[in-house]
Amino acid sequence: MLTIHNLQKIYNGTTVVNLTELTITAGESVGLVGNNGAGKTTLFRMILDLIRPSKGEVLSKGTNVMQSGDWKNYTGSYLDEGFLIDYLTTEEYFKFIGDLHGLSGGDVVERLAPFTDLFNGEILNQRKYIRDYSKGNQKKIGIAAAALSNPELLILDEPFANLDPSSQIRLKNLLKKFREEKQMTMLISSHDLSHVIDVCERIVILEKGQVVQDMQTTENTLQELETYFTV
Amino acid sequence: MLLTLLSHQWKAKLRSSIFQKSLVLNIILGLLILYFGSIFLLLGFGLHKILGNMYPGQDVVGIFNSALLFCFLIDLFFRFLMQELPVLAVQPYLHLPIAKNKLVHYVLVKSVPSIFNLFPLLVFVPFMYTSVMPAYGAAVAIVWVATLLLVTLLNNYLLMYFKRQMSTKPLYTLAFGVAIVGLMLLDYFGVLQLKAISETLFGAVLVNPWLAVVPLVLLAGTYLLNFYYLKAHTYPEELELRKTNTATGGDIAFLNRFGELGKLIELELKLIWRHKRTRSIAMMSVMFLFYGFLFYGKGKFMDGFGTLIFVGIILSGMPMFNYGQFLPGWQSGHFDGLLTQKNISPYQFYTAKYWMMVPVTVLAFILTLPYGFFGYKIILINAATLLYNVGVNVFVIFFFSVYNKERLDLSKGATFNWQGVGASKFVMMLPAMALPILIYLPFGLTGIPYAGIAALGGLGFLGIIFRKQLLQWSANRFVAHKYKLAAGYRQS
Repeated sequence: MLTIHNLQKIYNGTTVVNLTELTITAGESVGLVGNNGAGKTTLFRMILDLIRPSKGEVLSKGTNVMQSGDWKNYTGSYLDEGFLIDYLTTEEYFKFIGDLHGLSGGDVVERLAPFTDLFNGEILNQRKYIRDYSKGNQKKIGIAAAALSNPELLILDEPFANLDPSSQIRLKNLLKKFREEKQMTMLISSHDLSHVIDVCERIVILEKGQVVQDMQTTENTLQELETYFTV
Repeated sequence: MLLTLLSHQWKAKLRSSIFQKSLVLNIILGLLILYFGSIFLLLGFGLHKILGNMYPGQDVVGIFNSALLFCFLIDLFFRFLMQELPVLAVQPYLHLPIAKNKLVHYVLVKSVPSIFNLFPLLVFVPFMYTSVMPAYGAAVAIVWVATLLLVTLLNNYLLMYFKRQMSTKPLYTLAFGVAIVGLMLLDYFGVLQLKAISETLFGAVLVNPWLAVVPLVLLAGTYLLNFYYLKAHTYPEELELRKTNTATGGDIAFLNRFGELGKLIELELKLIWRHKRTRSIAMMSVMFLFYGFLFYGKGKFMDGFGTLIFVGIILSGMPMFNYGQFLPGWQSGHFDGLLTQKNISPYQFYTAKYWMMVPVTVLAFILTLPYGFFGYKIILINAATLLYNVGVNVFVIFFFSVYNKERLDLSKGATFNWQGVGASKFVMMLPAMALPILIYLPFGLTGIPYAGIAALGGLGFLGIIFRKQLLQWSANRFVAHKYKLAAGYRQS
C-alpha cells in the first residue's frame, strides 16, 4: 500500500524525518508513537504531499504521491483543523466531500450512520459553522469526513486527543470495526499507548525522525512501550 | 468544480465573523464603495468635458490615451501596497481528490473580481460611450475597452507573480519595483516621453483593432507564469508569505531600569514589532507624518487656526490613535494570561501604555518640527496640541478602550483589515479630533485665537499634572469592564 524510500525532511539543518525504508501492506493497521518532535506529523504531511520532502519519496500503490494525485481517491485523512473548511456547516462539508467521491445525499447519511454514537447528538443539525464547534467536536467531524469515502487507506493524526473518555472508546471501537469489516489500511499516530495498541496490530516507534522499533502487537506490547518511554 | 469552489469562496466572505457581526460597518463599507463607485462613474461620464476644457482644441481620446500608461503604473504601485494574495484558501482542499490544476486555476481566477479590477471599468466604459464610440465606431470602441481591461488584468497577474516572489526571491520584486520607479523618474526628467509612448500604444489599437491581441498574449503569458509557479509550489509552507521567522529583537536593556513597568512596555513593543498588523500600523503612522504637506503653506489653511489645530492633533497623535483605537484588543490572544498574572495590576497595565504612547507622541512632535519653516505659528499650535494629546487624548483613548471587545488576529495586514473596526471606532475618533477644535472655537470667534491655543495647551497640562488620578480612573473603568473584554476575546 505505502512504501517509503530514504525519506528525509530537513529544516534549517535539523533533520526532522529520516526514514530509510518503511512499508505498509494493504489491510495493515499501523500505530505510530513517539514523543513530541519525533516527526510523526511531518511524516504524515509528506505522505499526504503537503510538504515537499528534502530527499526520497513516498510511493502509494507504487506511484510517487508527488507526481500523481491518484492516491487521493482511496486515501482519507485528517491531521488538524486546517483540513476543515471551517465556514461551512457540518452538513455542507459532508455533502461537499461526498460530492467529490460521487456519493449521493442518501449515501452520505448511510455512511455517517456508524458515527451516530461518536457524534453523541452534538454534530449534526446544529445550524452552526464548523469553526464554532469545540476542538473535540471538530476532530470528530474531520475523522468522519476522512472515513466518509470508505477509503482503502485512512491516515489520522492523534485521533484520540481532545476527545472525552467515552468518545475515545467509541472511536476506538469504530476504528476496529472499519479494520475488521472493510479491511481498511490505517496509519494512526497517538500519544495514548493503550488505545493505539488496541486499534493497531503493528506499532512503529519514531524518535528524532527515525524508526527505532517496529513490532507486532502482542499482550506484552503495552509493557514494552511503557518501559521504552520511561526515561 | 470551479463553481463549487467559487461558491465556497463566496460563503467564506459572507460568513466571515467580522462581516456578520457588524451591521454598521457593512453599511459604512457599502456606502464607501457606493461613494467611490459613483465618483468613478461620474468621472467617466464627465471626463470628455473636463479634458476638453483643460486641453481645448485637442483630441480628447488622445489625451486620455496618453495618461493611461502612467495610470497603469500607479495602479501597480497601489496594488503592491494593498492587494492581498489569495493563498491559504486552498489548504483544506489539498488532501481531497481534486486535481491540482483546478485548485491553481481557482486561486488565479478568484483574484479577478476585485475592486482593483472592476473600478477602472467604471471610468473606461462611460468614457468609451461618450468619446471613443462617436469618433471610432462601436466595434473599435469595444475592442479598445477590452484592451484596457486586459491590461488591468495583466497588472493583476504581474503583481501577483512578483509579490509572491518577495519571500523567496526578494531581488526579483526589488528589480520590478526599481524598473517601475525608474520608468516614472525617466518620464519626470523628460528622458522618456511616457505620455507620447502611451498615446502611440493605445492609439494604435484604435487604428488597428487587431493589436488588442498583444495584451491578450501578454495576459495569457503572465497567467501561465503564475500557473506554473503555483503548480510547482502548492505546499502550504511554500505558499505562505510569512515564514516561521527566527525571533528578532532581543531584550531592551534600557527598559529594565523601570522594573515591572519597563517589562510591560517591552512586552508590548515586542508585540508591535513581531506582528504583521501592528507593524503595518507603525508604518502607516510614519506615513501620516507627511500629512502636513497637504495643508501647510497653503494660504487658506495658514490664515485660520481650526484646520491647523486639526492637523496638529493628527501629526503628533496619529501613532497613538492608530494603535490606541484597538487597545487592549492587541493583547486579546493572551488576555486571560495577563489577567491571571501576579504582578500586573490594572493601574500598571494602563501606566505602561501611557508611558509607551507619550514618548512616541513626543517623538512625532519632534519629527514634525521642520514644518516650522512654514511659519512659527505651526510650532506653537503643534506644541499646544502635543500637550493636549498627551494630557487629554490619551485618556480619551483609554476611556473608549474598554469597549474594544473584539479579538484581533495580528498576523493579517492592516490595509483593508476591518477586523475589530466597529462603530465605537468612529465614535471614538470624533471627540479625539473634534473636541480640541470645539474648545478653541469660542476663543477664535471672539477674536482671541492665541488664548484658545493656550487653553488647549493648558488643558493638556492639567491632564499631565493629574495623570495619576486619570490613570487610576482608567484602571477602575478597566476593572469594571474586564470580564466583558475577556469574554469577547475568547470568542475567535
